[in-house]
Amino acid sequence: MLASILASGLAAGAIYALVGVTYNTMFSTSRVMSFTAGQLAMLGGVFGSMFTLKMGLPIVVGFLLTLLCCAIIGIITEFVAVRPVLKSLDQHLYVLSTLAVALMIQQVAAIKWGTEPQPFPRIVGIGEGILDEKFWLPVAACAITIVGLEYLYRRTLVGRAFLAIAEDNFAARALGLPERNLRVASYALAGVIGGIAGFSGGQLLLAFFANGALLNFYGFVPVALGGLGNNRGAIIGGLALGLFQQAANFLVGGIFSSVAVFTLFIVVLLAAPQGLFGASTARRV
Amino acid sequence: MAVSRREVLLGSAGALGAASFSFPAPAIAQSEPIKIGCLAAITGPSSAPTVGFNRGVNFAVDAINGSGGVKGRKIELVMRDTQGDPTKAVNATQELISQAKVHAIWGPLNSGEALATTPIMARAKMPDLHPCVVESLIDPAKYPNAFRIAPSNNQWDDAVRNYCLKILKVKKVAVIGDTTGYGVTAVGASVAAFKKDGAEVVYQANVDSTQPDMTPDMLRAKNAGAEAIVVWSVSTGMEARMFNTRAAMNWDVPFVGHPSMASGELAGLVAKPENWKKVYAIGYKSCSYDGAGKLPQRSEDLVARLAKANVVLSDTLLWWVAGGIDCIELIAKAVAESGSTDSTGIIKYWNTLSSYPGYFGNYRFSPTEHNGYLTEEIVMSEASTAKNGTFALAPGYT
Repeated sequence: MLASILASGLAAGAIYALVGVTYNTMFSTSRVMSFTAGQLAMLGGVFGSMFTLKMGLPIVVGFLLTLLCCAIIGIITEFVAVRPVLKSLDQHLYVLSTLAVALMIQQVAAIKWGTEPQPFPRIVGIGEGILDEKFWLPVAACAITIVGLEYLYRRTLVGRAFLAIAEDNFAARALGLPERNLRVASYALAGVIGGIAGFSGGQLLLAFFANGALLNFYGFVPVALGGLGNNRGAIIGGLALGLFQQAANFLVGGIFSSVAVFTLFIVVLLAAPQGLFGASTARRV
Repeated sequence: MAVSRREVLLGSAGALGAASFSFPAPAIAQSEPIKIGCLAAITGPSSAPTVGFNRGVNFAVDAINGSGGVKGRKIELVMRDTQGDPTKAVNATQELISQAKVHAIWGPLNSGEALATTPIMARAKMPDLHPCVVESLIDPAKYPNAFRIAPSNNQWDDAVRNYCLKILKVKKVAVIGDTTGYGVTAVGASVAAFKKDGAEVVYQANVDSTQPDMTPDMLRAKNAGAEAIVVWSVSTGMEARMFNTRAAMNWDVPFVGHPSMASGELAGLVAKPENWKKVYAIGYKSCSYDGAGKLPQRSEDLVARLAKANVVLSDTLLWWVAGGIDCIELIAKAVAESGSTDSTGIIKYWNTLSSYPGYFGNYRFSPTEHNGYLTEEIVMSEASTAKNGTFALAPGYT
């Protein structure tokens, strides 16, 4: 039982964590919580299955095309749902606009892809039982993504520009950084991360249009638990959520496991409103 | 003789009146087409059954019209696409009744729409045949015009329970459904009925159909000693995960339950084809083949006729096609026997059918029973054996 909790808990947790990072990536450059994050992950599974199983393309080509499509959807989100409402962030209009885009993505996926879950191919073909690739692949994808993001943010000029924008938008612009272009790039990057989440978790979640709403919520929980904009917190929060959820599935089962997750979520937020790893930022006056 | 203007007017009115009296009104009624309204989800996510039903409906209409119609009257279909949307179904129903002035309606074809349209049809006393499973759709006191030609939820439940207890002879069952309204209701009713029949429900659960791993529930069912798992869900993803988990656990427990377990989509969702074995989904005698691959003779004859008429069965279910044929023939027979398209006559005729041999099954209606399908005609099928819309009988039937 413990092995099963660890295998499927870490796998689901890694997917939640990646969706959490998707939220953070979009948030860092725009200060917008875009509720398209889960849909990007859903599309990772749907595009992946479409390119590799339906169209018969090689896995690598299918993977790259999936990431490209998700990046484009990310950019469209920025243009359609984020840019028009940036001037009135304090009115939180982005909640409505990003939810609307998320709903449109879900409905189009349901109409064009179908309302039944579709199979997702085996990618590497290694492992059986609790060591099946459907369990370890999301964890590996999560680890590689984190390493890649760390490299991007710490070792590259573009990454540092992202950080500068995230830290202080006005100062970064005053220094001449192309804030708008960087924001578009960050939404494309978020699309890629969401696509990786969906593609790596395709065997576990299947290519199913309804996964979007599920991942939107379960991906938001680690962001709230770990602290808004804090990738490290999102990763730890996501993995902890997956493990806790799977343990609850074993111990209390079915509907009650969701209740357990929500209860823990509320308790943590009551104890630490800024998230377990978040810090309340001082405002310079 | 002087003729006054008043006399001319009176005479004209009289002549017109006489002409209209002598006009053969019944002759018009006897030659006008029989209009059958069809509320069908032709497009949208729930259109698969409609595709099958419509093949049967069109086949029956062509056959009847080709042989001269019903006492010389042709059948005219008035098809409306509801897209599976109750609002569109309500609008289409009102239009069929008040503008198209149909004589009887076939449909809607799913319960969500039927819940919305049934009271409207009852107010208009519109004869209605439908295949929807929700119990409350049939109530001869409230809806004397509505007749069901397919099993209800309770009949499915009875058939599954009978198979588990009388044929598989298991005593301990696990009952698992999804978290939709249907899943929760069906699991509750099934558990209560199993307990009433003396079986032990060792585990019951409603699981979110998107839950990625079914090991926890399957493990609990196994540890509780379940000898069969009864499934009430329409989620093929959840069902495939359960079948794959059973294989991973090296457990050979049978699955018995909802027809969706025989859905063709499962072939791509199970990790190995053998994971789909020992899965018994609800099916029907008329559409199940025996060990020799033979359907009942009446169904064999129907399949031959359908093949001759180029009606494709490979991508649909035979029971949908057969049900479509039965509904048209039931309406045609009612018009023929009652002598008119008057709704009272049609309903009165259906109420007298103590045994009507259809293709999908034998129907039995009475003034107090409008659930026409017989429970004994429901059987379990080997879920993975689909062949031209039919399935192999599950083990245990002779």
